[in-house]
Amino acid sequence: VAKTSLTSPPWPEVPKLPDPMEEAKYHAEVVQRVNGMISSGRYGRLFAVVHFASKQWKVTSEDLIMMDNVLEAECGDRIRLEKVLLVGADDFTLIGRPLLGKDLVCVEATVIEKTESWPKIHMRFWKRHNYQRKKIIRNPQTVLRINTIELYPCLS
Amino acid sequence: MVVLSAARWLRSRLTDRFWRVQEVLRYARHFRGRRNRCYKLAVRSVRRAFVRSTKARREKKRFLRSLWITRIEAASLEHGLKYPAFISNLIKSQVELNRKVLADLAIYEPKTFKSLAALAQRRRHEGFLAALGDGKEPEGIFSRIVHHH
Repeated sequence: VAKTSLTSPPWPEVPKLPDPMEEAKYHAEVVQRVNGMISSGRYGRLFAVVHFASKQWKVTSEDLIMMDNVLEAECGDRIRLEKVLLVGADDFTLIGRPLLGKDLVCVEATVIEKTESWPKIHMRFWKRHNYQRKKIIRNPQTVLRINTIELYPCLS
Repeated sequence: MVVLSAARWLRSRLTDRFWRVQEVLRYARHFRGRRNRCYKLAVRSVRRAFVRSTKARREKKRFLRSLWITRIEAASLEHGLKYPAFISNLIKSQVELNRKVLADLAIYEPKTFKSLAALAQRRRHEGFLAALGDGKEPEGIFSRIVHHH
């Protein structure tokens, strides 16, 4: 029979999903391998995506983060960043739905500096109405240095 | 004797006009033409520059978001997915990564982005299968599909 526009449905062909039993076996094997890699420490540099100060940051060890607000912690305090969304190494990534467990990842940071931002100028002007307002805005800023990202082998 | 007004040789003169003018001209030093030297022209240009920078601070957020979306779209097309399919399926699988981080992962962590694309593709297929149902023809006379052989 000739092929017309109505022979096949207009949505694309969906491939069949693999068998759930085989999938479960494959998943268990992958989880075991990743657990083994974590416990033996065979990963290089770890990166993590952390949700902090209402923003998401892609973070590695020894890098600096600057946020536009005040933290209630003194300079030199060690802080643990909870709310980790993603952790990755070279061979594997752990994706949280949406967050990863606190017993799985630990991200440590130190408060380095608490300053003000550079003086930003906020100016409003309406022409022909003799209206101009100039204001200098200085936001408080905090600088954190991420010390370490640690993984513990408690996947299931 | 009592003197009610000050003497004529005591005047109130403006002595720091130079510094008041410099306060404005220092923001105009990189401008073009006489606007970087002459105060009258510089005042107008500096005022417009300040107003434009305040408005641009609000537009920057919109611009950066569209830039991130373009980058994510390009990266997901490399893996065979369009941007709306990618983002909607990621959200349906409860992965709450924002566009900034997704764009950074697409640039610096290609393997991670590939795994995210595979996750979105799998969720998309599961959604299609859930929507299509059994694949049998519907009952009823007028909703049955007629096959001509």
